Amino acid sequence: MFEPAIIVHGGAGTHPSEWKKREPYLAGVKDATLQGHAKLARGGSALDAVEAAVIALENNPLFNTGHGSVLNLKGNVEMDAIVIDGRTLSSGAVCGVRGCPNPVRVARLVMEKTNHCLLTGEGAQDFMESQGILPVPDSQLIVPGMRLAWEKAVLTDKASSLPAASQRTASDLPPGCDTVGAVAMDAHGNVAAATSTGGTTAKLPGRVGDSPIIGAGAYADSSVGAISTTGDGESIMKVCLARRTAELLETGVPAQESAARALRFMHEKVGGEAGVIVLAKDGNRCHVARHFISTTMPWVAVNNGCITWGIDQGQEESASLE
Amino acid sequence: MFEPAIIVHGGFGKFPSESNLKKPLMEGTKAAAREGHAILARGGSAIDAVEAAVTSMEDNPLFNCGYGCTLNLNGNAQMDAIVIDGQTLNSGAVCGALGCPNPVQVARLVMEKTNHCLLSGDGVQQFMRSHGIEVVPDSQLILPERFQEWEQYVKLREEFVNGCGDSQRIASGLPPGCDTVGAVAMDASGNIAAATSTGGRTGKLPGRVGDAPIVGAGSYADSNVGGVSTTGFGESAMKVCLARRIAELLEKGVPAQESAARVLRFMHEKVGGEAGVIVLAKDGNRCHVTRHFISPNMTWAAINDGRITWGIDQGQEESASLE
Repeated sequence: MFEPAIIVHGGAGTHPSEWKKREPYLAGVKDATLQGHAKLARGGSALDAVEAAVIALENNPLFNTGHGSVLNLKGNVEMDAIVIDGRTLSSGAVCGVRGCPNPVRVARLVMEKTNHCLLTGEGAQDFMESQGILPVPDSQLIVPGMRLAWEKAVLTDKASSLPAASQRTASDLPPGCDTVGAVAMDAHGNVAAATSTGGTTAKLPGRVGDSPIIGAGAYADSSVGAISTTGDGESIMKVCLARRTAELLETGVPAQESAARALRFMHEKVGGEAGVIVLAKDGNRCHVARHFISTTMPWVAVNNGCITWGIDQGQEESASLE
Repeated sequence: MFEPAIIVHGGFGKFPSESNLKKPLMEGTKAAAREGHAILARGGSAIDAVEAAVTSMEDNPLFNCGYGCTLNLNGNAQMDAIVIDGQTLNSGAVCGALGCPNPVQVARLVMEKTNHCLLSGDGVQQFMRSHGIEVVPDSQLILPERFQEWEQYVKLREEFVNGCGDSQRIASGLPPGCDTVGAVAMDASGNIAAATSTGGRTGKLPGRVGDAPIVGAGSYADSNVGGVSTTGFGESAMKVCLARRIAELLEKGVPAQESAARVLRFMHEKVGGEAGVIVLAKDGNRCHVTRHFISPNMTWAAINDGRITWGIDQGQEESASLE
């Protein structure tokens, strides 16, 4: 028997400094974590837990995933998502998918109903419909804040001093505008990871970031641990951030240090900001850690009967899980 | 000054020994290596060399990329490709691309003209048009033999779905030699690049993306270490991050051949599936080039140290002086 655990992040970036404005992000991530943990507590699988946590964030319009996603250059919503089952290394993912309120759910269906790992574009949409999931119009996915961000990006592009839309980094995005993810371990010792995103504001149509890529946006292996990443997607892809973190775990480097080293390597080699959540197996327990080199990253973890959380660098609050 | 080198593969496969496809595929692979090497010999970059080598195979209808690629379940030619510049780790890739005769060239433009690494689906066509590249009709990409293979696949699949066929027949009904191509090179400045291109697998679900356009799965390049391009069961390569795992071993000083063999063995044991890889490992101002595959065949050709070497069967290595 293993002691289940889960850690969830709501995106690396620069969240508002006023508590009143940043509290809802933390509350959203906490709620998602507790939903995932509830699955684990009833004996559910790590895969069910990470899917539930990410669905909660996709349904929460505050987060850049599902409802509330950023818009691409043409003003449309296009999403990427992945789930990985660390028991078999099976995975399912979608990228550049439109009209999809819960891309992580479709990603799981790709894993379970096909022999493929990744579907894109119209093919992903057709598959989604073949599974009885009806596409929804963009109007059901777009929130005013993200539309405003898009308008600013597209209009100011023609102006000036701001970097071109396609060059925006995680820190330029509207606050809290980034990928979400979850990693968990269940009572059988299996681990899973899930990541979901709307991408970057004003990205080129069809742009795929790190999120749906095994080894970049996520990684899971029940003999080692699981990882989900967030931040400058291109930087993450170039260095295979999730896989690099796992490589260090495999050589026995502790979770926190693995994350920190991989992020430092990425930043030095290719630039960019990012954050990582890591679950590292340790006998019949596990260590959960997070590290980010952006200004903020809301994260919440449940492990060993305790709930811990934070959003700023170095912040870690904790309470007993009642 | 570094001694330039290039290694190219034309895809893994299973050929009956008397197959009349082996010779032309081998010739096409060698021609691609020579094209890439010609660029290196005149001082060109590793990225120009791998792009040229892969373009040559995309234009050759025998290879499963560009013109002549396998068809998806809907009967369309849908492609994935990548280039990686090992000097900066910059990369450009396309996936699920329709109407694209040279996806490796579009991949390079993604790298050079955008700040993105990967474009998919319709977005690729929009990008192509915005750069004056014609989106061509399928009729210009589909070879009659590929169409027949697709028809056969669809028929077998229907039988399977209707309960009167079996998956073995579907698998064995697939044609030989039908897989991803790639190239890895080092230029006279010591920079390394990798490129990979594919039409995927016959009858793949529309929009299916395999390992080819994924950094760390189908390809990897880092001028401090080396470069890798893979071919084979895409899903298996993706699940284990095949190219990245090989690079990890190279970084630890494990020789190229052993790195490739160990990782392929790991992949096969952990998730099943067959694959082949080409590897270029830096060594001072030279490099080692090698290949390893766990299928019966993989066409490959390498030019290094003034010699051209090549093979298609397990254990086969022919060589000649590069005239």
